[in-house]
Amino acid sequence: MAQDFPPAPNPPRLVNDFTGTLSASEVEQLEQKLLAYSDSTSTQVAIVLLGSVGPYDIADYTIQLGEKWGIGVKGKDNGILILAAMEDRKCFIAAGRGLEGAIPDALAKRIVSDMILPNFKMEAYYQGLDQATDMIFKLASGEYKADEVLSEGNSGGSILLILLLVFLFVILPLIKNRRDNNNHMGGRGGGVDFWTTLMLANMLGGGGRSSGGGSFGDFSSGGGSFGGFGGGSFGGGGAGGSW
Amino acid sequence: MKKILIPVGILLVLGIFIYSKAVGTYNQFVQLEEEINGQWAEVETQYQRRTDLIPNLVSTVKGYAEFEQETLTGVVEARSKATSVQIDPTNLTPEKLAEFQQAQDQLSGALSRLLVTVEKYPDLKANQNFLELQAQLEGTENRIAVARRNFNESIKSYNSTLKVFPNNLFAGWYGFVAKGYFEAAAGAENAPKVEF
Repeated sequence: MAQDFPPAPNPPRLVNDFTGTLSASEVEQLEQKLLAYSDSTSTQVAIVLLGSVGPYDIADYTIQLGEKWGIGVKGKDNGILILAAMEDRKCFIAAGRGLEGAIPDALAKRIVSDMILPNFKMEAYYQGLDQATDMIFKLASGEYKADEVLSEGNSGGSILLILLLVFLFVILPLIKNRRDNNNHMGGRGGGVDFWTTLMLANMLGGGGRSSGGGSFGDFSSGGGSFGGFGGGSFGGGGAGGSW
Repeated sequence: MKKILIPVGILLVLGIFIYSKAVGTYNQFVQLEEEINGQWAEVETQYQRRTDLIPNLVSTVKGYAEFEQETLTGVVEARSKATSVQIDPTNLTPEKLAEFQQAQDQLSGALSRLLVTVEKYPDLKANQNFLELQAQLEGTENRIAVARRNFNESIKSYNSTLKVFPNNLFAGWYGFVAKGYFEAAAGAENAPKVEF
């Protein structure tokens, strides 16, 4: 059983492409992006591309691998593992126990079906992962925003507002787009809409805070290196799909 | 006088040794059993979560797929059957667990039949409410799998502690017995290999 799971990378890395699907520079770009996010928020988002998960259910395999590597910080359990099995043409995003609230299964499902799968279908693997991680950052940041707000003891209302905005601007347009989509040739309607509205929702949500919002999405240019996974635990949250 | 003291001393030391060993072993069993109870609670919670999702799912599907009465009834029946099989965590015998698992597996089967049927209804598949429910249901299945695996691991450490010498002697005294595992899904043995 144990040999079914690759050992945690040494030296530790967040992006692990066992298949050579991504170019070296794409791997490095993603690595730096995820590293910057991990450094500023302690949330560890890891990517694994491998050939086939064999007899395993993709969900089961991803969750077990996340648990074995201990992605996320112990106690916070704030790890995310995006795993794609290239030969199986399947992908799964597993959310650590601590992030199940910020990234519920339904949203994980949407990230997979709206960002990863359409891009992967066109073999735009880097773009798919890039967009998916951007969205995960936004959602996961919301969770820590909520934490801060709660510890100051006022207004759970702003969290509700953010959620409401996400629902109004993200989910409703998606429903509409989905209907539209039947008529178009290959394009996926509304990718931009979805994206910009979420940015908007995020900005509105961030308006109430004094600082700290600006650093997400920054690309750190210095080639730092990742310090290692922290023993986070996975309870089965997340969603997947196949392309 | 001295000749009596030596055997008495030996017996005393031996008695203390056995006593402390027995107490230690007992406490170890209790701890392992608590661990199992905790994991079992998690298993039950996740199955309960699935049970709670079903009425919502059924009413959503009903509006779109009225002709699938039989499939829907199958789910509702399997659900009520699954909820009727409850296990007291202090009585996790292999037979009891198998019964519980069978009832839950029946519900899994009925649910997956329903989700296959749904493929015929594009309107339903585009329904946002349904998509959310489906994602939640899939997530719950994943959580069930994790909870079951953790439960099995704690059973394994309990059972293996129980069966080694001299623990097996103590276990007999205290009335601790080996507990049952969840069986793995059938057909997972001769499947393809993992490739990194």
